[in-house]
Amino acid sequence: MAQAAQAETEVTGLATIAKDWSSDVTTFKGVPWGKAMMWIFLLSDTFIFSIFLTAYMTVRTTTAEAWPNASEVFSLTMFGVPVPLLLIAIMTFDLITSSGTMALAVNYGYRRDKRRAVRFMYLTAFFGAVFVGMQAFEWTKLISEGVRPFENPWGAPQFGSCFFMITGFHGLHVSAGVAYLIIIARRISKGRYDNTNFEIVEITGLYWHFVDLVWVFIFAFFYLW
Amino acid sequence: MAQAEIPYQEAIPLHDPHTWITKYWFSQDHKVIAVQYGITAIAVGLVALVLSWIMRTQIGFPGLFDWIDPELYYQSVTMHGMIMVIYLLTAFLLGSFGNYLVPLMLGARDMVFPFVNMISYHVYLASVIILMLGYVPGMEGPTGAGWTLYPPQAILTGTPGADWGILTMLASLAVFIVAFTMGGLNYITTILQARTRGMTMMRMPLSIWGIGMATVLGLLAFPALFVSAIMMTLDNVLGTSFFMPAINSLEIGEDYAGGSPLLFQHLFWFFGHPEVYIVALPAFGVVSDLISVHARKNIFGYRLMVWAIVAIGGLSFIVWAHHMYVAGMHPYFGFFFATTTLIIAVPTAIKVYNWTLTLWRANIRFTVPMLFAIAFVITFVVGGLTGLFLGNVIVDVPLSDTYFVVAHFHMVMGVAPILVIFGGIYHWYPKITGRMLNDTIGLWHFWITFIGTYAIYFPMHFLAIPRRYYQYDIGESTILTPSMEILNVSITLTAYVVGIAQFLFIYNLIVSYRKGREAGDNPWEANSLEWCTPQTPPVHGNWGERLPTVHRWAYDYSVPGQERDFIPQDVPREAQA
Amino acid sequence: MSSEVGQQHPLTLYFWIWGLLFVVSAGSYATDYMDAGLLRWALILIFMFVKAGYIVAIFMHLKYERLALIYALLLPPGVIVLLVGLMYMESDYTWLTRIVFFGAEVSPERLPLPGTHH
Repeated sequence: MAQAAQAETEVTGLATIAKDWSSDVTTFKGVPWGKAMMWIFLLSDTFIFSIFLTAYMTVRTTTAEAWPNASEVFSLTMFGVPVPLLLIAIMTFDLITSSGTMALAVNYGYRRDKRRAVRFMYLTAFFGAVFVGMQAFEWTKLISEGVRPFENPWGAPQFGSCFFMITGFHGLHVSAGVAYLIIIARRISKGRYDNTNFEIVEITGLYWHFVDLVWVFIFAFFYLW
Repeated sequence: MAQAEIPYQEAIPLHDPHTWITKYWFSQDHKVIAVQYGITAIAVGLVALVLSWIMRTQIGFPGLFDWIDPELYYQSVTMHGMIMVIYLLTAFLLGSFGNYLVPLMLGARDMVFPFVNMISYHVYLASVIILMLGYVPGMEGPTGAGWTLYPPQAILTGTPGADWGILTMLASLAVFIVAFTMGGLNYITTILQARTRGMTMMRMPLSIWGIGMATVLGLLAFPALFVSAIMMTLDNVLGTSFFMPAINSLEIGEDYAGGSPLLFQHLFWFFGHPEVYIVALPAFGVVSDLISVHARKNIFGYRLMVWAIVAIGGLSFIVWAHHMYVAGMHPYFGFFFATTTLIIAVPTAIKVYNWTLTLWRANIRFTVPMLFAIAFVITFVVGGLTGLFLGNVIVDVPLSDTYFVVAHFHMVMGVAPILVIFGGIYHWYPKITGRMLNDTIGLWHFWITFIGTYAIYFPMHFLAIPRRYYQYDIGESTILTPSMEILNVSITLTAYVVGIAQFLFIYNLIVSYRKGREAGDNPWEANSLEWCTPQTPPVHGNWGERLPTVHRWAYDYSVPGQERDFIPQDVPREAQA
Repeated sequence: MSSEVGQQHPLTLYFWIWGLLFVVSAGSYATDYMDAGLLRWALILIFMFVKAGYIVAIFMHLKYERLALIYALLLPPGVIVLLVGLMYMESDYTWLTRIVFFGAEVSPERLPLPGTHH
């Protein structure tokens, strides 16, 4: 058949795109269904978060009132000295840590080291839960300082609206990710995926890294701007 | 590697239904889910049809019925638009045609994740129910903000349904998007990763290209609607001011400040324009197949048709603000968006030429589906040409919010895709049920619908009156000339007739299910894989032991020197006489 | 390509990237101590894209996937870039109309008004 002839002439670089897209059965060679579906879902989710951030940029630039200084708003006082964005920095490092443990889980999964993979997934879920906890603390602190979705003591009311909406939606993603990790880890230890390559760990990992990825952009645009 | 994946597909464990509930209600079979989507979409479409009668009654015979008050009128306008665009057209073309055709035309057992697919339908059903909650007695009724739901008026006192109505609408849209995402991920993953042996992308029937590209558009465009639905809900419930500027009029909206209504319009149309093509592309694809099959000729310029679909899909994301020329946006935008809008006419025109050239000197069989397909091309050309007027800023400004616009979008994305849906149903009903639809009723249905829609929408181009007006009288006087009044009355009367004709169609669907002529496996002598199933209607799993192998494209009709004038896709090259 | 049996890479790769991510995040955080200006913005964006790039390329293994998948995923967000650019123009214009037509007070951080400085 034509495919067999094609396989013999090895192509490289950009030509592989044409070859893969013009082949039969699968377009993304070697990508399991679940992984392809997760990637496409994440692309769609990228659009959701991009549009959240675009909307935030637009209202922030549109409003004639002054925008509160995030550096001051999110500072914590340590030993009598206000440290800007301290909690946010800790949250950032926490999320990176969880990304690292997740990457290890994926690696151990593909090595068929079930025990370590599951353990690192639980560890990832733990760091995720810690993140959500810190976010809850941050919300509580801001609410006690008078920040509401419709007003805040320092300037444009859209500050609070955007803050609660964007971090809230991200927090929901993290919480869902924690649940997802725990469910999949349990299923793995029960032996549900023993007949596979454990690509399920990578699929779960894709989602988790994506949550971290979104935080990179939120950190830059919401907290540093 | 690719070859290794096929045995997996052949051995894929199917969720076999045991009880009536798992077979017809919580079924994981894509064919059952397709029918579920179809029935729900038609049912909700009938609601929208009745709503359009209410609107037309008010415009044709203002003041005839007391119970059509301004609130009901605007609520009917809004719900009619939203239901038709989202809950009928999108749901039917992707949910029903997409679900039915994608696995069958690609030679797959089912969608890649049948369970998610099943959930998708039930979430869609939930979104329809939430939408209808707008009509719960005792509440204020559904929203009357117009289908574009522009703030600030959509959530301010004075607009019908500014609390309960808009909330049910936004919630329903968000839920619909969740349903669509679950279905859409399935369609696109199946198309990309689960085709059968020999089925390359360039051998896929154009229906699949259209459905696939529309799914991509949906997955990337619905996020904008999702986000704006969330933001507007927050504006309404929590009193945020994302879209709400400072308003101090008659003590309405005093709590808001600093938001940007223009932002909503941009986000809405960033979704809304791709949405036009989410509806149009599957229609383009399906109609290409109908024309080719019933003209007994290969589709003219298959490759160009494919690339046109891809180009339209890409361009549809950079034309959105042509809906906003009069919105007061940045003055430089008009030029940019007019240019991109006119560029998108090029691939669209290529498609129209190719349909026409496919018909040229063809051995046309004037079956009912073919009539609908030809009617689509005509209607689409008329609607598309007026789009050229509206795409130009300077021409659009005086035409904005007149019946010219109403005529344009009803022709191009209302009637045209509906004609394709009808054509598609007449075409695939024999495969779904094993029986033919009644031709006599079908012809009546076709001619009344086709001529009727022209009688409704063609005169609207010349009816130079503003749209979305409850009445055109000011005290004793009116802004309508007597000829306009006659037109309004005639349009309304035609709308009644066309509406009733749709019940003929539904009668046909029901009666033919039991009494229709036996169809056989391939009544239209078509090539694509869905006509090659071992059973008609196809059983769960579609293909028996082995998946089919594809050796050719789907358009080998009237090949010279052949016994029959069609060669199905699974016929090997060597077997060709 | 390694993709056939999933992604097999040495553990050291992950530890390296993990460490780098910490360093880049620290850099990103450090920009908060700088004065506002073009340099700060540039650093924020550079650190952001470097960090995002490492996560997507290594942790999500996109670098090791075939080009067909890479391009299918990286091209569509291009329309988001267009949306962001146009929305920035649009919001600036809206803001200006508010100052000019509604006499809204100008917050000091937005001064001088475009076109008014010499």
